Amino acid sequence: MTMLGAFARGTACRSGLVGVALLLGASAAGASDNKIALIPGGPHPYFAPWEQAAADAKKDFGIASVDFKVPTEWKLNLQTELIESLAAQGYNAFGIFPGDAVGINSTVTELKGNNIPAVALAGCAQDPTDMGFCLGTDVYNSAYLGTKELIKAMGGKGNIVHIAGLLVDPNTKLREDAVQKAVDESNGAVKLLQTVADTDAQEAADQKINALLAAQKDQIDGMIATAYIPSVVASKSLRTLGDKRIKFIGIDDDKIVLDAIKDGFVAGTMAQNPYGQGYIGAYVLDLLASGACTVKADAPWVKTPQTAHFIDSGTLVINQANLESYKDDLKKVTAEIQGKFKDTYLTCK
Amino acid sequence: MNQLRRLVLVEWSGLAVAIVIGAAILSMLAPNFLTEFNIYVMLRSFCVALLVGFAQMVTLGVGQMNIAVGALGGLVAIAFGGMMEVYGLPILAAVPVALLIGAAGGLINGLLTVRTGINGFIITLATASAFTGINLGITESIPFYKMPPALVAFGEQRIGAFPYLLIAPVIVAALLGLFFARTVPGRQLLAYGGNAQAAELSGIPRERTIVMAHVLSGLLAAAAAILAVAQLGSAQPSIGSDWLLLSFAAPIIGGAALTGGHVSVLGTLFAVILIALIENGMVLAKVDPYWVQFLLGALILAAVWLNRWRAVRTGTA
Repeated sequence: MTMLGAFARGTACRSGLVGVALLLGASAAGASDNKIALIPGGPHPYFAPWEQAAADAKKDFGIASVDFKVPTEWKLNLQTELIESLAAQGYNAFGIFPGDAVGINSTVTELKGNNIPAVALAGCAQDPTDMGFCLGTDVYNSAYLGTKELIKAMGGKGNIVHIAGLLVDPNTKLREDAVQKAVDESNGAVKLLQTVADTDAQEAADQKINALLAAQKDQIDGMIATAYIPSVVASKSLRTLGDKRIKFIGIDDDKIVLDAIKDGFVAGTMAQNPYGQGYIGAYVLDLLASGACTVKADAPWVKTPQTAHFIDSGTLVINQANLESYKDDLKKVTAEIQGKFKDTYLTCK
Repeated sequence: MNQLRRLVLVEWSGLAVAIVIGAAILSMLAPNFLTEFNIYVMLRSFCVALLVGFAQMVTLGVGQMNIAVGALGGLVAIAFGGMMEVYGLPILAAVPVALLIGAAGGLINGLLTVRTGINGFIITLATASAFTGINLGITESIPFYKMPPALVAFGEQRIGAFPYLLIAPVIVAALLGLFFARTVPGRQLLAYGGNAQAAELSGIPRERTIVMAHVLSGLLAAAAAILAVAQLGSAQPSIGSDWLLLSFAAPIIGGAALTGGHVSVLGTLFAVILIALIENGMVLAKVDPYWVQFLLGALILAAVWLNRWRAVRTGTA
């Protein structure tokens, strides 16, 4: 139990965003009796801040219950079984990271048929879908900006490698296209040597990234990782090699990546906003489940290859300059999206 | 000439030929293949994989399967990391405790199998879920990061192309070879796997043999987990999640019989080298990522076929 306790404390510290509600100026004025569940696709450290986001949203918006529920494995059937079981227990709104972009839709339609709203958080469902909207990182934009940042760190020229995540994730193709676009814009000054994919498991990432460095260390001037685990592994590999010549841009803010930025082994990392996704998601689900608001059809949605109802939850580059302050920047992004959400994306009575 | 014929008759000779051919092709395709650092990278990925292969091999030897190899490995990995990060246990104390947890997991698998009479496949399928559940319950999928610097250094340091990590699998391989070839329990284990009825009639205790195979398997999975933590520098809850396929592929490519009674320590070793070589080659040869899985499967099939062809031609099939 001590180990569990230590972990719970660790999780709270890691999120580091406990006080965001104060910044937002949110109030628990209209207490509701809604029961909201935030459900990731499976266990993954990326979603850890959702637990704190759920607790904060419950407190700040006076919601009866906001719970973070994790399927035991990354399998769509386990996720849909969990959702159905929670619906049977009285949960009446769901924020979901789809275990499968298309496969989740039948469950979402079933929920809608029972007047239970669902929104996609962190990752989108494929249109046509009954998800209210999708609040997540614009993966194309994040990979594009990350590559641009990498090219800048390399002095505008050189050879780069893209380390991508799961090939079965359709977002991987979007990220590949975004990296290629940034490379093309360099007018030949930057060359994409290779894309190494399926690195979303620790051991596979360790083997592939080290093999890559072994084979082409001297030819590679920069690397960009567009998935969580290869970012961590590449940061560690560059530290082990003691290589500060190869510039590297990762994704997310794992401690190993942040420490490597601090010590100069990594140029930067693309921060996502998982806390904001969970917090804003719970806030909006409460409004939708209460029947007070509906999703506006003609809101300024961003159109992506997956959905016509996308909202960017914000992305920014973490580097040595903002290493200490980036969490505040993310809080501001969260506050800004939450503050405007009702007027921009909802029609309320 | 006689020596060459004797070599061809050895069951792993087909694999050895495949490795030599593969290495020759790769050194032509990618000039960096034979660099010291690349050999180090391959040997490093080989260490955990070999122990994982051995963990399955011992249960295959007795005619059982251990579906919980990866799940138990994951549980041991986070327990090992947790003991050092949360309780501040020194490495030398945490290693034996982690090994004990692995052995205890194996003991549970073995006892449940013999006492319930249910096939070990089903039992370990269930315990795999339970072990993973405990792992996730403890960590909430967040790794333990603060590993002792000495452990991390052990996972990274090398002498030339040889990683320190290699010490453990080399010792384990030698001990396992001796165990199956020269010790009574090792011979009993294979005898039981070869023909359970005949073994029981000759006085080999059924329950003890099956439990011993599972305990040994748990112990080896725990050793693999400890090495994985040293290699990755953190105790990740996802350790072991992709071990299952490899755990079967390595001993079976290496010549182990799925029905039990026959295993090959050297064959498994060569099979793991071959798999590491192919995986490394995929990156070096810049294979299109969308075709990597297909090529991996096709090359492994080709290697198995080569070994089978050799066995048929030499009359050792």
